[in-house]
Amino acid sequence: MISVRPFHDLFVGEVSGADLTRPQTEAEIAAIEAAIAEHAVLVFRDQRVTDEQQLAFSERFGPLEHTGGTGISKPGEQRLHPAFADVSNLDVDGAVLARDNRRRLYSLGNMLWHSDSSFKAVPAKYSLLSGRVVVEKGGETEFADMRAAYDALDEAAKAEIEDLICEHSLIYSREVLGFGDLTDAERATMRPVRQTLVRTHLVSGRKSVYLASHIGRIVGWPVPEARAFIRDLTEKATRPEFVYRHVWRPFDLVMWDNRCTMHRARRFKSDAVRDMRRTTVAGDAPTVALAAA
Amino acid sequence: MMIQPIQPGFVGVVTGIDICQPLTAPEVAQIEAGMDSFAVLSFPNQPLTDEQQVVFSANFGELEIPLAAQMMAPEKRRFQKIELGDISNFDGKNTDKLRDREDSRRMYALANRLWHSDASFRAVGAGYTLLHSRVNPTKGGNTEFADMRAAYDALDAKTKALVDDMIVGHSIVYSREQIGFEVKGDADNLKPVKHRLVVTHPVTGRKSLYLSSHIGEIDGWLIPEARAFLRDLTEHATQRQFVYSHKWEVNDLVMWDNRTVMHRATRFDDLKERRDLRRTSIKGVGLGVDSVPVQQAAE
Repeated sequence: MISVRPFHDLFVGEVSGADLTRPQTEAEIAAIEAAIAEHAVLVFRDQRVTDEQQLAFSERFGPLEHTGGTGISKPGEQRLHPAFADVSNLDVDGAVLARDNRRRLYSLGNMLWHSDSSFKAVPAKYSLLSGRVVVEKGGETEFADMRAAYDALDEAAKAEIEDLICEHSLIYSREVLGFGDLTDAERATMRPVRQTLVRTHLVSGRKSVYLASHIGRIVGWPVPEARAFIRDLTEKATRPEFVYRHVWRPFDLVMWDNRCTMHRARRFKSDAVRDMRRTTVAGDAPTVALAAA
Repeated sequence: MMIQPIQPGFVGVVTGIDICQPLTAPEVAQIEAGMDSFAVLSFPNQPLTDEQQVVFSANFGELEIPLAAQMMAPEKRRFQKIELGDISNFDGKNTDKLRDREDSRRMYALANRLWHSDASFRAVGAGYTLLHSRVNPTKGGNTEFADMRAAYDALDAKTKALVDDMIVGHSIVYSREQIGFEVKGDADNLKPVKHRLVVTHPVTGRKSLYLSSHIGEIDGWLIPEARAFLRDLTEHATQRQFVYSHKWEVNDLVMWDNRTVMHRATRFDDLKERRDLRRTSIKGVGLGVDSVPVQQAAE
């Protein structure tokens, strides 16, 4: 049976006793679900999973997102099965992307705090990231606990954000880094969607701040005021005590709940090979009644 | 005159001097030495008039004429003294009316909530800025300062080597872009100017990060890479151990050195509460924040 060791004062558990290369029992899945409801981020060490095994494990938590239709990768350019988000810096032949490669520049947006698929009408539940080839220096993934961030707000701040609705789009997060090199067709797939700024977790019942660098607007607010507000809130929500930095070992598999955490990638040398493969469990429902902005 | 540091080596509180009166040369020298040591000086209880603020400021160099005042018709200016910058949320001369939520002056000023160094988008950035407080909101509206000398010192050797010779482009367009506000106007004023990212203080010899939200590019870097790097560097440089948050009292005068600190405003309820600060700035000529000559920048 699995056991979970807390890894941080607020969140993150290191799971031992799990072998994700083989099918999990109902009891094991239930234990993992209970653990992630509590810890929000789970670290599984030494999981030499194949793509098939990662898919099989991920599907136990619900239908998976398919990456087609979002982002900028075209069919035929994809290295992995369409249920994978390719978080590597490799092309279809396994070569490291050139420094000025468009997909590489696009992916630098992952260095901004975000929650996966918050730009989809039904945003993601869990992400599972398997580190197949990790870099020796840099390339860490940082996680921030948005439940703790919510709890730390004073009553006035909680009241102010309680009913706010934000608009999320990949266009906004790319704009932050000055990446505007998008085709009309790509922009059309990136139309903003609406999400509540405060979410209540279905299992734990805890409230969290639903932030992401994909946010570009708050409904009813002038844009500059919204941007300044979201920046300030993000800064508060990601202060050091709410953050865990994951230093990757080969074959770590990290699973997190996008509904109550943000994460970001850290810088590494552009010529180092980094092969990370993500599966994403779809969410259950939109956060607002009318999600299309 | 006495200068008492708030944090070791950063931010001094100056007492025992009346800066409404003309200063002697030794007093000016003592204040300048205080600025060299502490980068920010706070003078509480100084009921300066506009004229006195200008006279006090002129002790430290040539005053800048704020862009907004330059472009405004004289009869529309709030202050007789063209050197004074209007850091208020008033609807121009009508100080009883606050700016509307959608007012473009308000949108423009919201970028002051991003960390910046004054006038770093000019060929010669500001040296000292002096801000005098007249009216404060009941909550918020602080000015925060971050020590760019300490931030530089705290970089690891590899990052120091990476940034030491870096040349970056500053423009008012870049800082406004970050909050989704498009700056329109004279193209010459908006063109990026190049500065070194690391500047050396001519008196103390200390290095500091000349960072600012006005920066949008690094020479020789791709834009998204540059922006991601600058964000991370700014995050490093504004960690809480480098930051002092000034809660304003009426008649505080705070002066800071834009070569060695960044600053930003914090939020307040500007649609309901009044805030009135008056700003003077000293040109940073010969202070190490002159733009990099084009030839050198191209190398």
